[in-house]
Amino acid sequence: MENDKKPNNVVDDEMEKWDINLSIDVGEEWSNYRDDEVMQQHNAIQAVEAGKLPYVGDKEPLSALAAEYQSGSPVLLEKIKVLGQNYAAIRRTRGDGNCFFRCFMFSYLEHIMESQDKTEVDRIKENVEQCKKTLQGLGYADFTFEDFFTLFLDQVNDVLQGNETSISHDELVSRSRDQSVSDYVVMFFRFVTSGEIRRRSEFFEPFIMGLSNTTVEKFCKASVEPMGEESDHVHITALSDTLGVPIRVMYLDRSSSDSGTVSINHHDFIPAISDPPVATNSDSVSVVEPFITLLYRPGHYDILYPK
Amino acid sequence: MQASRARLFKEYKDVQREKVADPDIQLVCDDANIFKWTALIKGPSETPYEGGVFQLAFAVPEQYPLQPPNVRFLTKIFHPNVHFKSGEICLDILKNAWSPAWTLQSVCRAIIALMAHPEPDSPLNCDSGNLLRSGDVRGFHSMARMYTRLAAMPKKG
Repeated sequence: MENDKKPNNVVDDEMEKWDINLSIDVGEEWSNYRDDEVMQQHNAIQAVEAGKLPYVGDKEPLSALAAEYQSGSPVLLEKIKVLGQNYAAIRRTRGDGNCFFRCFMFSYLEHIMESQDKTEVDRIKENVEQCKKTLQGLGYADFTFEDFFTLFLDQVNDVLQGNETSISHDELVSRSRDQSVSDYVVMFFRFVTSGEIRRRSEFFEPFIMGLSNTTVEKFCKASVEPMGEESDHVHITALSDTLGVPIRVMYLDRSSSDSGTVSINHHDFIPAISDPPVATNSDSVSVVEPFITLLYRPGHYDILYPK
Repeated sequence: MQASRARLFKEYKDVQREKVADPDIQLVCDDANIFKWTALIKGPSETPYEGGVFQLAFAVPEQYPLQPPNVRFLTKIFHPNVHFKSGEICLDILKNAWSPAWTLQSVCRAIIALMAHPEPDSPLNCDSGNLLRSGDVRGFHSMARMYTRLAAMPKKG
């Protein structure tokens, strides 16, 4: 104790000599808080972007896509023509780093609204319940994710017709453009994607190492859970697997095949059946046809509508 | 607004439960405003901040938890990633790496971890960062220690 005291007093004495100001200036300094300015600028940029395109745009004919490339690459124009054989329309999403999740949200809810597929709703609810257990098992406190889960399940229930809370297609569009719904649903997807990646970290590790040379945990913290972080194959695989929803991605890029014929690459993300039901005669591997189709252009996803 | 309030209330209840679990953090909500919090955190052991108690101020935005809380040191601290005058903290989870998976409590833990593991390559306090970057660990320690004693420890005698 005595030893402890001495240097302190020495310091205190020195302190008086130097008259160092130890209090943090709350007033003026706080007002030129640089991060605030950065955040403000960030918000201003977002507001400008918001003016250009809502989170989820209107459905447009595929010709609107071709119009973008009128004076551009002939390869792309050819590919859009090929795309037009099977697809009729496009719905754009804002390029804010959340576009994949936003596309998935709208596409899925719109599908449920149009199909009124109650079996699918029951199925996904079971998966969502499983996702919740996964997060709990990983040590997430319930209150950190439950609001996002609730909001997603509300949307699924509301697109089913015949309930008091049922919504119209217009209302679905407007909710998808409302930050307090749209961002919460995106965040729900980010939580379950992160949970799935961490639950099957051995499976995902090599892909993550290839992408960013980091650990699974750090990848989830830095590139999955934060809003605005763009999605890659890892995210799409994990989301498709954990919710059990197949996703087709059409790739619109400048690559051309050697044969000279123009074709469009696509990839189907088919959920891995990680926990197969016990003793079913599952040798009938049914061909799954994804009901969600996205258009990928380097760095961005939009929704595609088949003919 | 409603969502952030509800979330903060859940955190408030959780903090009451966790009080015993984490003796290094004392997180207190303003009586009149659930968007204002303060925390007292203990300087981590085997660092120049050991034995010090540091006060943090939280200002929680209405978009919380989609957006991070504003956090800064109220107690003067000599650390590469803390602005010496304003107490502003340079920490990725308070900026672009934020997610709602974080809580006010876990933010405090992350700040304690930052105290133990400074990142001199992204300094807000250049003097402090330069000492570490030039390899003058001893110089850094004595400065950080001096300010811990001056600002973060009760005056004795």
